[in-house]
Amino acid sequence: MFVQEFIAAVVPLYLVATALYLYRALKGPTIPDHVLGVDLLSYNLAVLFIVLGIFFKEPILIVTAIPLALWIYALDIYVAKYLERRVMGA
Amino acid sequence: MIEELLVYTGLGLIALGAFAQLVSGIGVNRFRNFYLRLHAATIGSIWGCVYPIAGAGLVALGYKELGPYSTFMAGAAFITSFLVLILSPAGSHALARAAHKTRQALVEPCVHDALDPSMCVRGGGS
Repeated sequence: MFVQEFIAAVVPLYLVATALYLYRALKGPTIPDHVLGVDLLSYNLAVLFIVLGIFFKEPILIVTAIPLALWIYALDIYVAKYLERRVMGA
Repeated sequence: MIEELLVYTGLGLIALGAFAQLVSGIGVNRFRNFYLRLHAATIGSIWGCVYPIAGAGLVALGYKELGPYSTFMAGAAFITSFLVLILSPAGSHALARAAHKTRQALVEPCVHDALDPSMCVRGGGS
């Protein structure tokens, strides 16, 4: 089957999207824009971990995506809490 | 037969996710204020993250070259996609609520803002 060729053809699209997100994460005029850019970069990274785990036949790459997805949520909640109440922590 | 069907469905979902992430990247750079950019960002997190991860799980179920770990990869992929499906709308909602309540991001090209009319900048540029 042509799984590896197909993934090798699709991954450059994800990399172009990474460049676009990175531009917004660095430029973003307000603080929520920076956080939104970092969010999208991390979701993109989670997809790339899993897709490349299938490409390289490495099962260990897929384990790293679950804590990454949880940390993105933690980042959102921490930043929102800090913006609203000016306290760090949960 | 069923393995080929799983692999083709999964690869189609991965390609759909790549297209959605591209659309989301263009939208995040083209929209004009934070709340509109959030609209584009949710395309990138649901269509661009949940669907390709679930598709990767389907590929792992049908792709025999992965060896004995293929079911492990499929299960981890389905769990990750479910977590993102639950957590990403909650996170972006909290972020938008905090940004609006603390007046971090103004509503720049604005028609109507019922929550706080003083944040509404009519006919703004950039």
